[in-house]
Amino acid sequence: MKTLIPLLLLAALAVPAAPAAAYDRSELAEYNDLYKEGHYEEALEGYKKVEAQEPSSPEGYYNAGNALFRLNRPGPAVASYAKAFILDPRSSDIRTNLDFALRQTGQKLAPEGAPMALHYLYYLLSETEIQMMIALLFWLACLAGAARFLLDGSGPGLAAGRAAALSALLLLASVAWLGVRQSSPFNSAGVVVKAGGARMLSGPGENFKTYASAPEGRLVKILDEADDNYYEIGLPREGIKGWALKGEIEQLTFQKGK
Amino acid sequence: MKQSPIRYAALSALLIFSLAARAAALLTISVETDRDTVEINDNLFLTVTVAGDSASVPEPTLPNMQNFNIYSSGRSQNISIINGKITTTVSFTYILTPRFIGVQTIPAISVFNGREKAISRELQVSVKKPSQQPQAGQQPPKPRPHRPGQAQLGAAQEPQLSLKAETDRRTAYPGEQINLSVKFYTSVPLSSNPQYVQPVFKNLISEDLPPVRTGETEINGTRFAYSEIKTALFALTPGPAEIKPATVIAQIPSEQAVDLSDPNFFQNFMAMSGSQGKSREFSTEDLRLEIKPLPPGAPQNFSGAVGNYAVSASADRGDAKTGEPVNFSVTVAGSGNLKAVTAPPLPEMPDFKVFDTMSSLDVKKEGDLIGGKKTFTYILVPRTEGRHTIPPIKFSFFDPRAGTYSEQQTAPVTLVVQKGEQSGNNVYYNQPGSEGPVAASGTDIRYVSDRTGPDTLTYLAARVSALPLWVHSVPALLLALSFWLARLNRFKSANPLLFRFRRARVEADKDIARADALMKAGSNNEAVSVLYDSFIKYLSDKCGVNVGALTMKKAAELIKERFPGTSDPALAEVRELWAALELRHFSPEAALAEGTADLSHKYSLLLELLEKELKP
Repeated sequence: MKTLIPLLLLAALAVPAAPAAAYDRSELAEYNDLYKEGHYEEALEGYKKVEAQEPSSPEGYYNAGNALFRLNRPGPAVASYAKAFILDPRSSDIRTNLDFALRQTGQKLAPEGAPMALHYLYYLLSETEIQMMIALLFWLACLAGAARFLLDGSGPGLAAGRAAALSALLLLASVAWLGVRQSSPFNSAGVVVKAGGARMLSGPGENFKTYASAPEGRLVKILDEADDNYYEIGLPREGIKGWALKGEIEQLTFQKGK
Repeated sequence: MKQSPIRYAALSALLIFSLAARAAALLTISVETDRDTVEINDNLFLTVTVAGDSASVPEPTLPNMQNFNIYSSGRSQNISIINGKITTTVSFTYILTPRFIGVQTIPAISVFNGREKAISRELQVSVKKPSQQPQAGQQPPKPRPHRPGQAQLGAAQEPQLSLKAETDRRTAYPGEQINLSVKFYTSVPLSSNPQYVQPVFKNLISEDLPPVRTGETEINGTRFAYSEIKTALFALTPGPAEIKPATVIAQIPSEQAVDLSDPNFFQNFMAMSGSQGKSREFSTEDLRLEIKPLPPGAPQNFSGAVGNYAVSASADRGDAKTGEPVNFSVTVAGSGNLKAVTAPPLPEMPDFKVFDTMSSLDVKKEGDLIGGKKTFTYILVPRTEGRHTIPPIKFSFFDPRAGTYSEQQTAPVTLVVQKGEQSGNNVYYNQPGSEGPVAASGTDIRYVSDRTGPDTLTYLAARVSALPLWVHSVPALLLALSFWLARLNRFKSANPLLFRFRRARVEADKDIARADALMKAGSNNEAVSVLYDSFIKYLSDKCGVNVGALTMKKAAELIKERFPGTSDPALAEVRELWAALELRHFSPEAALAEGTADLSHKYSLLLELLEKELKP
């Protein structure tokens, strides 16, 4: 038992000190050269490869967003920037380009009237980073709590107890933060990627009436994705919802575990 | 659709957002009409006000409005420069002529400056039938006698409609105003106000001249109602110019009978709006104009202004300090195409640093004449202290009525400059387009990134979140285990005898095993000692008293006292084993291997018996 605990801890946190890219630096430089020379389609193909090789890296999405923007495809560009932003909300370049692309489509990254400092705080960490923080605080709270019980009555035991209580409080705050982030426009969301906008039908099929259209580049909430061909989407600003073809909406999600 | 309790927390956060101060928007648009209700034969003024933080704001894009004819009526611009921050407000005025009766919607109007888009709210206007009541102070019109030979237009009579376009001149100079008049005549009332489609112009630019004039006239004995739309035209270059056909689309009722001699013909004519009819389209003929070149002899500073203008200059203050900006304005006012008037060049002014010019334009359309004023604002920063005079600014234009060039100049403007905190030589004026907010919005996307791989935190987060969930149950199990151990320790501390009582058999079994091992190793004496000590300890743990300090008799009495259910044979077995062990323990020569093994076996059997007998 005495040796098992450290082994498990090591197994849980056994990660290299520095991340290693799955793609070659010269490879990315080559795609960037294509971008620089104005060969945006070719550069985009390269950036898509980067996305596939390193899905947790925001750079592939960010650069792909740039290429798409240059190709005058604002919808897919917004979707790519949004994915990059989800992965790395602290990046100034990603934030700026996402905001720029959103403004081109009549939207804004920060809500109207919201203080920028609060907005930055809200997006200080990505959801994955908040989840990591929750996991680490959970470990810390449990281990400190265990030390508190094992060192019952002693001075170090009391200190461990205080550390466990503080960790538990921070854990609750982190869970609340993650909860608040569920209302982010990028959570359970998608982007209209069809040129000219996506038709919103009153039901999941062509036999239903088209009663609205969501413009290209618009961030939408995905309310239901159970249907094979249609998403039920909502436009919170207009207060309307409808069904749109899945091919016309790009969902802002990443495959688990990648 | 999916309800989550987390949303309540989110709402709380949003509430915090909403309580915060609102950031000022850089580009805004507002719309208003001069009234909410208008009669079908009347006009409506729509004012669109666009405000921005740069020297110029874009003109709004009016949406397609089939329910109104729209004419531009002018614009008014106001620029303010305070502490180097520029704010521009431009009011665009349009005259809307309703085409249908009922509640009509003016859709949202948008404006886009290349980085920001502002959208106005929708407006609704109620369009009513024309009032039949005579105006106050007016006598009701007397019935007009029916003229001999004048026909009443009935259902069987073919309606007479026509469209005519003409200009007030056939030749003009570039930049000289030419008025185009398009008149639509009808002898029958229409279902709605006709839709006017402006002609295409070649080598000409146009400005609307609202409002639409309406009236009645008699042509060849037939009474007609007419609508006249005027447009001001300005030629661009010498040579031919062309006005392509203008078009009017009118809804003609299929069956109507109106007394053309009725004095309220026009009101009746409009009052029938809304009834169904068939749509007919009328077009004018092409009109060709000859644009003459401007005569020779233009002054050196002539920049193409045509019209009749006056020029004046002023500074926003008479006293200034070095390094502090002064707004110096040159205003060109008069009649002509002011949009084409460019900023007059400033003379050399070594005492001032001159920054870019900003212009504001106010256009008025009075008496079918395009005019107004255009103000050019220069930012002057005095370099040196003293009394400085801004020399007269010269402005030349061609007067088409007189057929000559004219040069005017402003009066000199004097500024008293005192020594300021800045030297004036190294001053940098915050020019429009370089202010913080613009830089923050950016005019283009940022360049691609050449960073490979995510940063450490992002990478760690991805790795941790990819761990299977069971891994995170480990600390919880450890916590639970340590909690149980702590509870156990506390219980042990609180009940030591109980634990000794419960663990007595276990400890005794261990001792027997140890004794057996010693016997196998040939250490019979040590094995007997182990068994003796174990037996005494077992009895002590069970009784809670050290029985080693007692005699065998006292120990037996103690056992009987503590465990009254103990049988006499069991006590006899205890005494017998005790005696045997004591004998061999204190007489080691008697501890043969065979006897020791027997004692161990007896001890095991006695333990089995005592576990059943010694019940609290």
